[in-house]
Amino acid sequence: MIELPVLQNSERDSGASSPRTRFWRSVEHLERHPEYEAFTAAELMPGASGSPGQTSRRGFLHIMGASMALAGLAGCRKPIETIMPFSRRPEDTIPGVPMQYASGMEFRGTLRPVIVESTDGRPTKIEGNTDHPESTGSSGVFEQASLLGLYDPDRSQTVIHDGDAATWADFATFVATRRAGQSVVLSPPSSSISLAAQRATFEARGGRWVEYDAGGSDPSSTALQSVYGRSLRARHRFDRAKVILSLDADFLGMAARNSLQDSASFAAGRRVDESGTMSRLYMVESAFSVTGGMSDHRKAVKASQVAGMGAAIARALGVAVGGGEQFDGDPWVTAVAADLRHAGAAGVVVAGDTQSVDTHAIAAAINEILGAVGTTVELLDLGASQVATRAAGLVNLVADMAAGRVDFLVMLDSNPVYNAPASLGFEAALARVPDTVHAGLYMDETAQASRWHVPVAHYLEAWGDGRSFGGTASVVQPLIAPLYESAHSALEIAGLLASGVDRPGYDLVRQAWQGQIGGDFEKGWRKILHDGFAPSTGFASVTPAPAGLAAALAGMRSAASQGIELVFRPSPSALDGSFSNNAWMQETPHPTTKIVWDNVAVMSPSTAEALGLSIALTNGQHLVDRAEISAGGVSIDAPIWIQHGIADDTVVLETGYGREIGTNRERRSARFFDLDHETDVYANGAIATGVGVNVDPLRTLTAPGWTAGATVSRTSGDYLIATTQDHGALPDEGVEMEKRGMFRMATLAEYRANPRFVTDDDPKIIDETEWDQYPALWQNSHPAAQNAAKDNPYFGNQWGMVIDLNTCTGCNACMVACQSENNIQVVGKDQVSRGREMSWIRMDRYFVGGDGHGELHMVQQPVPCMHCENAPCESVCPVAATVHSPDGTNQMIYNRCIGTRYCANNCPYKVRRFNFYNWSKTLPKTLHMAQNPNVTVRSRGVMEKCSYCIQRIRAVNRQVNVEGREIREGDVITACQQACPSQAISFGDLTDPESEIRKAKANPRRYEMLAELNVKPRTSYLARVRNPNPALEPAVEAAAGEH
Amino acid sequence: MDDSPLFGADLSFHEITEKVSSHTEKKTPLAWYAAFSIANIGLMILLVMIAYLFWNGIGVWGLNNPVGWGYAIVNFVFWVGIGHAGTLISAILFLFRQQWRTAINRSAEAMTVFAVICALVFPGIHVGRVWAAYWMLPIPNQMEMWPQFKSPLLWDVFAVSVYFTVSLTFWYVGMIPDLATMRDRATTKIRQRVLGVLSMGWTGANRHWRNYEKAYLLLAALATPLVLSVHSVVSFDFAVSIVPGWHTTIFPPYFVAGAIFSGFAMVVTLMVIARKVYGLQDIITISHLEKMNIVILLTGTMVGFAYITEFFMAWYSGVQYEQYAFLNRAFGPYAWAYWTMMSCNLFFPQFFWFKKLRTSIPFMFVVSILVNVGMWFERFVITVTSLHRDYLPSSWDYYSPTAVDVLTFVGSFGLFFTLFLLFLRFMPMVAISEVKGIKPEADPHYYDGHGDGQAGNALPTPAPGASTTA
Repeated sequence: MIELPVLQNSERDSGASSPRTRFWRSVEHLERHPEYEAFTAAELMPGASGSPGQTSRRGFLHIMGASMALAGLAGCRKPIETIMPFSRRPEDTIPGVPMQYASGMEFRGTLRPVIVESTDGRPTKIEGNTDHPESTGSSGVFEQASLLGLYDPDRSQTVIHDGDAATWADFATFVATRRAGQSVVLSPPSSSISLAAQRATFEARGGRWVEYDAGGSDPSSTALQSVYGRSLRARHRFDRAKVILSLDADFLGMAARNSLQDSASFAAGRRVDESGTMSRLYMVESAFSVTGGMSDHRKAVKASQVAGMGAAIARALGVAVGGGEQFDGDPWVTAVAADLRHAGAAGVVVAGDTQSVDTHAIAAAINEILGAVGTTVELLDLGASQVATRAAGLVNLVADMAAGRVDFLVMLDSNPVYNAPASLGFEAALARVPDTVHAGLYMDETAQASRWHVPVAHYLEAWGDGRSFGGTASVVQPLIAPLYESAHSALEIAGLLASGVDRPGYDLVRQAWQGQIGGDFEKGWRKILHDGFAPSTGFASVTPAPAGLAAALAGMRSAASQGIELVFRPSPSALDGSFSNNAWMQETPHPTTKIVWDNVAVMSPSTAEALGLSIALTNGQHLVDRAEISAGGVSIDAPIWIQHGIADDTVVLETGYGREIGTNRERRSARFFDLDHETDVYANGAIATGVGVNVDPLRTLTAPGWTAGATVSRTSGDYLIATTQDHGALPDEGVEMEKRGMFRMATLAEYRANPRFVTDDDPKIIDETEWDQYPALWQNSHPAAQNAAKDNPYFGNQWGMVIDLNTCTGCNACMVACQSENNIQVVGKDQVSRGREMSWIRMDRYFVGGDGHGELHMVQQPVPCMHCENAPCESVCPVAATVHSPDGTNQMIYNRCIGTRYCANNCPYKVRRFNFYNWSKTLPKTLHMAQNPNVTVRSRGVMEKCSYCIQRIRAVNRQVNVEGREIREGDVITACQQACPSQAISFGDLTDPESEIRKAKANPRRYEMLAELNVKPRTSYLARVRNPNPALEPAVEAAAGEH
Repeated sequence: MDDSPLFGADLSFHEITEKVSSHTEKKTPLAWYAAFSIANIGLMILLVMIAYLFWNGIGVWGLNNPVGWGYAIVNFVFWVGIGHAGTLISAILFLFRQQWRTAINRSAEAMTVFAVICALVFPGIHVGRVWAAYWMLPIPNQMEMWPQFKSPLLWDVFAVSVYFTVSLTFWYVGMIPDLATMRDRATTKIRQRVLGVLSMGWTGANRHWRNYEKAYLLLAALATPLVLSVHSVVSFDFAVSIVPGWHTTIFPPYFVAGAIFSGFAMVVTLMVIARKVYGLQDIITISHLEKMNIVILLTGTMVGFAYITEFFMAWYSGVQYEQYAFLNRAFGPYAWAYWTMMSCNLFFPQFFWFKKLRTSIPFMFVVSILVNVGMWFERFVITVTSLHRDYLPSSWDYYSPTAVDVLTFVGSFGLFFTLFLLFLRFMPMVAISEVKGIKPEADPHYYDGHGDGQAGNALPTPAPGASTTA
C-alpha cells in the first residue's frame, strides 16, 4: 500500500508567506527540505481535525442538505437539478419514510434498471425496477452490492497530481491546455447515450477513443456481425424453449450481462406445475457454473473442445462445418442433436462470452437451422454503432504508446495496469506517455502509475444514462451529491475532454436527450426520471438473412488440445475487479466452491492428482497447496482447489483478485489486549489489497477466455482457504445427505408418475398422524394459543415462505440483498474460516452423483430461518429473548438477548448467527450510512437470524392501519424474495386463501426440511424436478451399475 | 464394607485433636507458600483470561456456528461433577451410617464447595453479554419481565445455586464444633476472635449438641436429594434439547453416576497427597481409600454401561440422526476424545477389581487422575461431538479450542487450589468431633459393666479439645 500525501496545495502554500515576514522553525523549514514538506503535509491532511478520510458529521449534513436541494428544495451549492421521486412525493418529506427513485447501474456495457431507496437523503437499498419492460423487479448481487461501493471508505477522495493533492479546477485547467487532437481516451464499453455524444464530439475534434473491456471482447456480436452482416445482439427467450444447449455459456451466473432476464425466462420455462412440462438444459462447459448446476445433462470438456462439440452437434443437424470430428457419433452428441432437432424452433443454442467467435458462429448456425431465430432467439439490431474491434484498438494504442506517439492518455473508469494481459506490456508503454490521467473510483493500480488521478463519482452520485440489454433507454439520476467534492462522473470528464469546458453532467445528459423526447421536453423528461426508462426505446428485433453464415463457418478445424488449459472467468463476487473492494461481495461465497475472500486455481481431482497437488481439511480448516501457473512466459502463484465436474487438464481461474488499491485511511492499531484490529476487515487499508491473485496477466487479447499450453507445478507452502461449507471434502456428508432427505428431487417422469414424490423421503409417520398435524409439546400453552396473541391485531396475518428449488439457481442475490436490508456485518476471512459468518440466508450447495454414480449434478438450497411454529430455540432461551410474534414469526429480541447460544445449539437448521465480536464497532464512518435505519445494528454477544424482514411487515402494518384496510397480497415482500432473479421465493399471508403462498403450499412438490422433528416450520421447499433425456439416462444407469 | 479398622493406630482423643489442629496453628511451612504461589499463578491466569474475554467478546474462544458451547460448558459440568462427592460423602453416607466417611468428609465437602465455585464461574462468563447475565435470575423489575421458566438453563441456575448454598451451609455447620475446639486452643487474640465468631458461641453444651445433631441430620436429609437433583438438572441442559446425542432420557442417572465417579476420583487424588503431606495416614487410612476406590469402580462401571446403552438406544430407536451422532462420536473426527473417555472411564477403573491394585497408593493416584481426565473428555464428547455435526451436513464444522479456552480451564484449577490450600491452612481438614465420635471410647457404654476389654488401656487425659466431644 502506498502512503498518499493528501494535501491541498492551497493549504500548503498558505504556510509560505512573503519573505519579509517569514518566520521559520528549523533549518529544514527554512530550506523547505522535502522531508519537512512531507511532515507538514501529513499534519495538515484534510479532515485531520475531524474524522480522517471519512465523512464528518458536518459533511454529512452538508450532503443531506444538498440532496434536499436535489429533491426540489432550494440549494446553494449546486444549481437546481430536479429529480423525480418514484412514488408521489408527500407534501413535505417525512423523516424516516424512505423515498424511492428510479435509476440505473451500468454493468458490463449495459444498463441495469434499478429502484433506489433513499432514507433521509441517503441511498440505503437497491432493488430492480418492476415497471421496466425488461426487468422483473429483481436485482443481482452486483446491483445490491453497489450500494456499499458508494460508501466505500477506500474510494479516492481528491484529485492527485504527481502524488500531491490537487483540485478539480487544477485538472480542468490542465485539460484546457491540451488539444483534443493530442488526446487518447481509453474507456470500457458503455451504453451511455450522453457519453457517446461526448465521444462523438471528442472524435470530431481529432481525439482518439479506444474501448477496452477487461472481460474480453464481445465474441457474440463479432460472430453475429459476420453471419448477418450487421451489428446485432442475441437475446434468448428461454421461456419459449424446450431444449437449450449451452456451449460454455454461464447465462444464469451473476456475471453474465443479461443474467437477470435470462434467469427469469429460464425459470419460466422450468415451472413444471402448471404445464406439466419443462425445458431441458444441456450444458457443455469446462468450469462448473451455476448454469451447469441447473442443467439436466452436463458435459465437462476442455474450453478448446467446446467449439468442436458444438460443430459435431451442428453437423448432426445438417450444418456444413468442420472441427470436432472426434465427437461425431458420440452418444451424447447424437442425443443432444436429436433432441434439438425434435424441438425445432423451440430449441436454442447459447455460446458463452469466454468462448471463441467460432463457437458463437456455430451456435448461430444451429439456431438458424432450427428456425429458432425469432422465437427463442431474438436478434436485436444495435444499429451500426458497435463494431467489435476492441482488441485491435488496444493493441494499436499500446504500440503507439510504446513508440512515444501518444502524449496524453486518459483512462476513463478503467484499470489496464491491473487487468491488461502481461504480454501487451501496457505498464511499460504507459511509462512512455508524458501525461497520463486515470479517472476511477479508487486509487488503484493504474492510478498509481498515472500522473493525474481524478476521483470518479459513483453512479448513485452522478447523472448519466444508458441502455439496457434490450436497448431500453434510461436516465441515471443521482440520489445524493458526491460524497467527495472533487469526484466527477466519467461523463463530466469526457465532456471536459471533448469541449474543454467544465459542464455539469446534468446539462450533458439533458443535452443528449433533447432529441430523444417527443412533445414537451420537460414533461417527458420528468416522466422518464419518474419511471426510470423511456418507453419503446428498445432495440428492434430483426430476422436478417444469414448471408455470411457459410463464410463464417468455413475453415473451422479441430482445435488441438494439448497440455493444460487455463480457463478465465469473471469472478461471481469480484467480477473483473470492480467489486473487489466490496466487503459484501468478498464475503459472498462462491456458488460452486463456497470459498470467500480468495480466488483459487480450480481443477478436477484427476488433474490435481496428475499434478501432485492436494487440498486437506484439517480440524475444520482447508489447507491447500499452492501452484505456480505459467503460460506464455508469465507465471502466477495461486492456491489450488479441487472440484469435481471440472474438465480434466483444465485450471479455472477467476479474475478480480490480487488488487493493490491505495487508501488514505490509517492502519488500525489496537492495544495489546484489544482484538479490534483483527476483527475489523477494514483495519489494514483497502480490503481488496492482498486478497487473492491477479490472473489477468496470463490472458491474451486474442483469446481472453482461455489459454492453452500452460504449465502447473507445485510450489512450497500451504495456504488457508475459508469456505462457508465443508461439504464435498467429506465423503460421509454425501451419504448422510442422501439419507436425510434435506434436498429432494425427482426426474420429470417420476414427477408425472407421482407428483407427491417428496413423501417418499419423509420419515415414517407415527400412529397415522401426519407430521404437520402431530401435536406439539406445549401445544396448549403455545404463544399462538394465548389471548395476548389472539387479541393482537397482527394475529390476522400468519406469514409463511416457500422456496422453489426447481428454479433457484444459487446465484446468491438473496444473500446480498438480505445483507443490505438487514445490516448484516462482514467478518473477514479469518472469522469465516472459524465458522462465524453472519449470513441470515445461506446457500447450501450439494453435489449429487458423480464419481461413478451417474452424472454429477450440483444443487443449491437457500436456508433462511424456518420460523418454526413449535420453535426449539424459543423454549430453551432462559431470558425469553426469542419469542413468537402474533403473526407467526419467530423473533429475536436483541435488547433482551444475553447470548447463551443455547438457541443456536438447539436450532436443527443452524440458521442462528452469533455476534462473537462487536463487528459494527469498527465499521468505518461512511459505512454507517449504508445501514438500514429500520433494522437494529447488532452489538457483540447477541444472537441474530432471519426475521422474515419483520421491519417490512411492520411498515406495511403501519401503513394499512393508517389507510384502514387489510393487508393485500404483494404488500409485504421480503428482501430475498424481491431480489430473486428467478422468483424462486414466495412469501405471504397463510390466512389468505387466495394468496400465492397458499397456492405454493398446496403444491405437491412441497416439503418441509426435518418435518419429523415436529418443529412445524413455516418455510417450505418445493422439490427439484430434473428433466433428463431418456435417451441418455440408461447409459448413465448402466455406467452406474458397473461400479 | 469390610471390618478393617477405621484408624491406622489407636489414637487418643487428644492425639486426634493435635494431629488435625496443629496444622492450622504452627508456622506456615515453606512448602505451603510454594504450593500457594503456584495456585495463585493459576488464579491470575484465570482472572486475566476472563478480563480478556470480557473486553473482546466470546470470539476469543474457539466456538463457531454449529458449536455454540465448548470449553466453558465442558468445564462447568466437569466442576459440578467433581463437586458431587463431598455432599454424597457427607450426606448420603451419613444417613447410611457409613462411619468411614468421617475421615474424609470435611475435605470432601470443602472440595465440593470450591469445585462448585469453580463451576459457577463458567456459566457466568460464557454468556455473550456478561453485564446482563443477571437477567437469568427472577428479579422483580418494572417490565414485569421474568426469566423463561421452560429453559433448562434457568433450572440449572436454580439447581446449582441451591446446591451451592446447601453445601456451604452443610460444610459450615459441620465445622462448628471443630472451630470451637480450635478456638479453645487459640493463643493469639485475633485467632480467638475470629474463631470465636465462626464457632458461634459453641460451648459443647448438651443442648448445643442436641441442636447441632438435629440440624446436621436435617441438612443431610436436605442435601441428599440435591446430590441427585443437581446433576440431573445439569443433564437437562442437554437432554431437553433436540440435538442428536443430547436428547437422551438416560442422561440424569448417567450424569449423577458420572458426577459421583469424578468426585470420588478427585477426593482420592487430593487425599493421597494431603494425608502424606499432613501426616494423616493414621486418620485417612488405606482402608478409607480402598472404599473410595470401590465406589469409583462401581460408578465407573455404571458410566460405562450408560455409554454402551446410548449406543444400543441409538440403534434401537431407528432414528438416523441419533445413529449418526453416535457413530460419529466413536469413529468421526473426535474419535480420539471418545476413546480417551472410554479408556479412562470404563477400562482403567476395572483394575480396581484387584485388591492389590486398589490398595496401592501410586496406582490409585494415577487412576484417579485418569478418571478425571476421562470425565472431562466425557463432557467434551457430549457437548462438542453432538454439536459439530447435527442435522444439516452443510453446517457441519470442527471445533478447536483457542489458547484462551485452555488457559481459562487451567486457571480454574488455580482458583480451586488457591481455595483448597487456604482451607488446608486455616480450617480443620478432618472432622475432629466426628472422628472422635466413632472411636470406641465415644460409646457412652464404653466404661460400663464388667471392666470391658479396653480396661487395661490407660485412659487418655481429657485434652482441651476433647472436652467438646460428647
